[in-house]
Amino acid sequence: MAEASYTAPLATRGLGERLVDALLSGRGIWPAVPAIIVLTVVAVIPFVILLSLGFSDMEVSRGAIVSQTFSLQHLTNALTDPLYWTTFQRSMTLALTTTALCIFFGYPVAYLFLIGGRWTRRLILVLTIAPLLTSGIVRTYAWLVILGGRGVVNSTLMSLGLIDQPLRIMNTHWAVLIGMVQIHLPVMILPLIAVMSRHDGRLVEASANLGASRLGTLRTVILPLSVPGIGTGAALVFTLSYTTFVVPQLLGGGNYLNAATMIYEQVVYSLEWSKGSVSSMILMVTCLIVLVAIALVTNHFTRWTKGRDA
Amino acid sequence: MMQGPTGPATSVATTSPVLRIGGVGKRFGTFTVLDDCSLDVAEGEIVTLLGPSGCGKTTLLRCIAGFWDADSGSITIDGQDMARVPVNRRPVGVVFQSYALFPHLTVARNVGYALRMQGVPRAEAARRVAAALETVSLTGFEDRYPAQLSGGQQQRVAIARVLVMEPRVLLLDEPFNALDAKLRGTMQVELRQLIKSLGLTSIFVTHDQEEALTMSDRIAVMRAGRIEQAAPPDEIFDRPATAYVADFIGSSNFWPSLVADGRVSLPDGQSVATGLRGAVRVMARPHNLQIAPPAAGPWQGRVAFQRSVGPLVEYHVETEGGDAMVKVVAMRRAQDRGFADGTAVSLRIVDPALCAVYPA
Repeated sequence: MAEASYTAPLATRGLGERLVDALLSGRGIWPAVPAIIVLTVVAVIPFVILLSLGFSDMEVSRGAIVSQTFSLQHLTNALTDPLYWTTFQRSMTLALTTTALCIFFGYPVAYLFLIGGRWTRRLILVLTIAPLLTSGIVRTYAWLVILGGRGVVNSTLMSLGLIDQPLRIMNTHWAVLIGMVQIHLPVMILPLIAVMSRHDGRLVEASANLGASRLGTLRTVILPLSVPGIGTGAALVFTLSYTTFVVPQLLGGGNYLNAATMIYEQVVYSLEWSKGSVSSMILMVTCLIVLVAIALVTNHFTRWTKGRDA
Repeated sequence: MMQGPTGPATSVATTSPVLRIGGVGKRFGTFTVLDDCSLDVAEGEIVTLLGPSGCGKTTLLRCIAGFWDADSGSITIDGQDMARVPVNRRPVGVVFQSYALFPHLTVARNVGYALRMQGVPRAEAARRVAAALETVSLTGFEDRYPAQLSGGQQQRVAIARVLVMEPRVLLLDEPFNALDAKLRGTMQVELRQLIKSLGLTSIFVTHDQEEALTMSDRIAVMRAGRIEQAAPPDEIFDRPATAYVADFIGSSNFWPSLVADGRVSLPDGQSVATGLRGAVRVMARPHNLQIAPPAAGPWQGRVAFQRSVGPLVEYHVETEGGDAMVKVVAMRRAQDRGFADGTAVSLRIVDPALCAVYPA
């Protein structure tokens, strides 16, 4: 690509040409410059502005910020407000439960992929990837149809005579949990499959040859080797569920308050940007703490990958 | 074809065999991978399944191990039919082609895996692991991970991992493939001596004839799902039962000929007795031919190509008829290179009795 430009004699090459050269094939930091610029504009600057909103007192007059002074007031307010604690606790519980359930339901699917034949594998891949091709909102609405008062679940149970009145599933904690698990399941299954299919199938045979039962092989060979996949999947599912907005908003019927819906209300309805900023900050920091914990646990169980070059 | 080389006659067993493969067949769809394979392996014997890729040797190995089920026939170990014995209960240890060591377990835990699965008490397991590691000279490597070992060391771990469970039959699936050529030769001798000292009944799968000749008490040459001949290495080499075996093992010269009065005439005027009739093919090994300066005789030729192979010189001689290129191997002489390219020579068969005759 860039080699062609080297053919121009040095003297005749302009500044612009040399800059392009450096960006395309230069040494050191140069090739990263475009990405750094884009990220600075779309991520770093907005983030700093967000931070400044949360940690300052503002005087606003006619829609413009008149003065801004540093303050920890919003943070202390948030940390002493029981509403914050219950909301974040609810988000955290929901996300952790979702992650655990995704591992619980996703692992058998990935295991089936590992031991299955060609058609089993294809079917699993199609069923896993197909939902990802539709928007999360669409999939969430599908649950409205299934779980609603006259939805599939209730009408089936009623026609079987198991219940007399429709169960109230919609707009409850359970509807949110069911929706979250289903929507995030593929994100758990895919990394699991990726990690599992990377390992030599002979390991499973070797294990059987050495006297292990199927369960023994699963416990002592397949499970330990799939830890990186569990870690990746858990990190993805946790991040997505902890910060999710659509699912609780739709399946919770507008009165299920989690971190994201709370921030939405603070920013969009009550226009308390400072509060929203502090909430976002808390959301991000707590999320990072859990991600670091997941990484540490994953690391602990994959120590064997470290000594490779020793 | 020809006399059944796999029958009891060729078995060296004096007592009943440890492993008995009786008429095993296996198909994948319409493709026959194994066709009526029979083989008895005696206590402490090392038998090699030798053949080109796709001949079914690995399939037979996998059927013995229990990874696949045979469609027909039976496999018995110590008189017990293996058909209903699941893979993890068979008294069989497999050393895989790429070793299949558990990457997440240390050497000690890899070797102790079988004992852990059997629920052997820790103290006893530790003792047996240490003993197995000592057998393969890997004491001191207990806490390494497989990725931290060389290819040769990995192979020894794979062997120790199987030895520790004291299998009745040891199966080795091309265990030298992952090693470089130089190491291979040493490891072959070492492994044979180790297996022999432990008295393990073994089946060894390879496509490399040199490996087979080094490792085996008996070689079973396979072709398209069938065992063509099972015999000791010398017999396979000197008296190959079929033209295919002769061609596959070592190098060989073939001539078409006709049987007259129970004898086949050889190109140099000598003749050899045969029980066959009609059109036949005669085979002579290159080292059974003698190359000499032109002299009176029916078999004359011209050196077309020559090369030194260590202490030997291999000549390719274009014979008078011009229809065949004859390979001759002679000891290299110190002073000169024998016969230069283009030199006229005469050929003679040293021992006509060592020529083999096959149906055309």
